[in-house]
Amino acid sequence: MLENEKISVHQFRVLVTFFTIGTSILVYPSVLARYAKQDAWLVVIISIGIGLAVLWMFSKIAKLFPNMNIAQMNEKVFGKWLGKLFTVLMVWNAFLASGELLYFSGAFFRINLMPEIPIEVLHIMTALLLVMAVRIGLETFSRAAEIFWVLFLFLFLVLFFVIPEIKFQHVQPVLENGLKPLLFPTLILLSFTSFNAIYLLMIFPAHVSNPQKAQKAFYIGLIIGGIITFITTILAILVLGAELTARLRFPVYLLAQKINVGEFVKRIEVIVATMWFIAVYFKMILYFYACCLGIGQILNLKSYRPIVLPMGMILTAFASMMFPNVVEQQQWDIQAILILSIIAGGLLPLLILIVGHVRSK
Amino acid sequence: MISIVVIVAALIIIAIDVPYLKRNKLKKERWAFTVLLLIGVGLSIAHIFHLSLPNPIRGINTILQPLSNYLYELLT
Repeated sequence: MLENEKISVHQFRVLVTFFTIGTSILVYPSVLARYAKQDAWLVVIISIGIGLAVLWMFSKIAKLFPNMNIAQMNEKVFGKWLGKLFTVLMVWNAFLASGELLYFSGAFFRINLMPEIPIEVLHIMTALLLVMAVRIGLETFSRAAEIFWVLFLFLFLVLFFVIPEIKFQHVQPVLENGLKPLLFPTLILLSFTSFNAIYLLMIFPAHVSNPQKAQKAFYIGLIIGGIITFITTILAILVLGAELTARLRFPVYLLAQKINVGEFVKRIEVIVATMWFIAVYFKMILYFYACCLGIGQILNLKSYRPIVLPMGMILTAFASMMFPNVVEQQQWDIQAILILSIIAGGLLPLLILIVGHVRSK
Repeated sequence: MISIVVIVAALIIIAIDVPYLKRNKLKKERWAFTVLLLIGVGLSIAHIFHLSLPNPIRGINTILQPLSNYLYELLT
């Protein structure tokens, strides 16, 4: 099953960028600061470097099998049944990830902006947007991403108003405990950005108009997304300090509340919320698209579209039920989903690459 | 009361998708659609009535916890 849809290289780059940014604007700085303290910004730099290596592996796979998405590659490399089994693992992982993002968007709006609305209603509203985008198709939401990217960059500039509040003693001393405490947070960041970029292989070789150039766009997208993650993380640490950043759930939101230009430009944190929602929305779309396309591939359907609406219903119910409380969500982030994405996005592609190479000889 | 909303939503989804599937005689797609929709309705109603279903998140977490603890200890 292949949809006859092609997106341009630039659109693909924007999708990669949004995928990399994802929740980083609000959530990552807190997770990173919890483990790496004031060196969280170094973690971002290291993980961009390793992430490029991971993407290099993905683009090697894409070169081995042009005109295929990752689900078809699985079947081609491992045979029908084992391949389907691996695709099931990937689809399940993508489903969990999109469910978590849906939960995140609901929780964020519930906590910060609309405390009186039941969280299910927020989930349903977001899920409607999500289902609409995935049902309409890849081309359309890529074009939307292109437009929103401009808006996103424009809004991102607002964050720089916080510069007068910077205190450099917050990042000192650099590398207080050496490099070792940076390893685990690097792995966490990698699992959300680079390892999970395996789902972009649902789009990359088959649906991009110029795969040669798209490979470069893959790297550039990661670097741009990494720079934005870097800026938000280092601003959070420079302004709030590592302690406070680690303790908050949405540190960058508080960061935006600190913006105060001449007692005139202030209380503009909703802009950060908008920005975050745009990025999370496109990441959610990519996960959910991969999920639906994967199910279509497993069941050999002619089109994935008929199952989008029922899947959306399952996702909405699941997102409301998956985390009974915040503690379980935070544990899930650093325990289970970490292992799952290392398996699905790190080990499995490596296996595909090795077996594919052996087979093609 | 709220479960009626779920049923109505399911009916709207059926009204959107099923005519297309019927017209093109896509049998397998219709089966997949029906099964997934039933799961969706079931989950939603279970959530409304606060039925405690086994949470897959907890199961996965329990299975993978030793592995992730090992990884954490290795890296810190």
